[in-house]
Amino acid sequence: MNDNLKDLFDDDEREPVTNDAGFDAWIANVAPTLNAPGATPRHEMWREIQAARATAAEAQAGTVAGVTPIRRAPWRLLSVVAAALLLGVAIDRWALNGRTDPASVVSAPIVDSAFNDPARLYRLAASQTLTQAEALLTAFRASGPEERAAVGGDQLARWGGEVLGSTRLLIDSPAGSDPRLRALLEDLELVLVQLIQLSRGSVDPNDREHVNRALEGSNLLPRIRTAVPAGTPFSASTD
Amino acid sequence: METEGTLALAKAARTADQRALIERARRGDASAHRALYDTHVDRIYRLTFRLTGSEHLARDVTQDTFVRAFAGLEGFREDASIGTWLHSIAVSLALNAIKKDKRERDRNTSLDDAKSIATPAPRSDPLLRDRLLQAVNELPEGCRTVFMMHDAEGYTHDEIATALGIAEGTSKAQLARARQKLRVSLAQFAGEWK
Repeated sequence: MNDNLKDLFDDDEREPVTNDAGFDAWIANVAPTLNAPGATPRHEMWREIQAARATAAEAQAGTVAGVTPIRRAPWRLLSVVAAALLLGVAIDRWALNGRTDPASVVSAPIVDSAFNDPARLYRLAASQTLTQAEALLTAFRASGPEERAAVGGDQLARWGGEVLGSTRLLIDSPAGSDPRLRALLEDLELVLVQLIQLSRGSVDPNDREHVNRALEGSNLLPRIRTAVPAGTPFSASTD
Repeated sequence: METEGTLALAKAARTADQRALIERARRGDASAHRALYDTHVDRIYRLTFRLTGSEHLARDVTQDTFVRAFAGLEGFREDASIGTWLHSIAVSLALNAIKKDKRERDRNTSLDDAKSIATPAPRSDPLLRDRLLQAVNELPEGCRTVFMMHDAEGYTHDEIATALGIAEGTSKAQLARARQKLRVSLAQFAGEWK
């Protein structure tokens, strides 16, 4: 979280020369009148919070239509990672080399038409990022000791950094108009920041457990799977 | 010495209380969630209102802050205070909300509206305040956040630095820059403070 906020500030701690005590005193006097809040609507907000948490709990329990409970089978995880990597390579090759061999890329016709429609392009980019995120988070969450040895903390942090970069681009994109997708991306951003922070250097088993629990709490994986249903061009869903 | 010892004991007791409260909240105790909410909601709401300038956005951001915090309590590491953690989430969400709101308003603002906004205001107190608010809203995000936290809401640089995860010196520098930019933006009203 703090990494996210740190981006707003450069590290230069030198203060510019102001030499205007009169202005500083005036602004300090006037500033408290700017955007002055009224009474806190405590009860109304608490009701909304309770309602949001109840909805999240229902989704977690699998009682919300369209939300698939999290799967744990290791072979499914491996197939998710493999599918995401293959799709990523295919898309990159197609994007870098032009349309020299469209037949080799299953999704090429869809991508082609997407270039004419920013909203569609945005959805495709979001699908790709969410697919990558699903692969990363699922692997992180459910990998066994042998996979942990193979996928070290630094590698997880790098992978997480790439997905985080894409996620932030999507959040900041003016083409993003779906509030549910935006909320999902913002939740994903928070979890990725946490995952990256904890993955730098060595990955302590307790820290892993913290991220796993945070993932369960935010219901992120089922929401990602709902947002990227099976059969969409870049999906690597476990369904 | 006795006073210092008493204060240290009181602080230790508060820390222990907070840990116990967080532990209860982690186990899903609804009364612990409510206690955390009651303790921190006023400051979070005031800050988000200051940053967003909108009751609607401040409510959304405050609610979202607590929803995410309760969902993510397992990931909270107790080397920071929960208040600091909540502030960190709230500021991040508020800045995202401001960006999104600005994009939507930009889409809906006609050229005529833009021209009327750009017209210089005559010198009088309410209009000066409008111009000041406009100038504050045009500050870079980092400067604006620190300015509103420090000058409008009364946070110390130490509190700002902890909540935003930056050095105290960076907070001071951002505030000084914010004030300098505001002084330039409001130069035509210099008589008000000279």
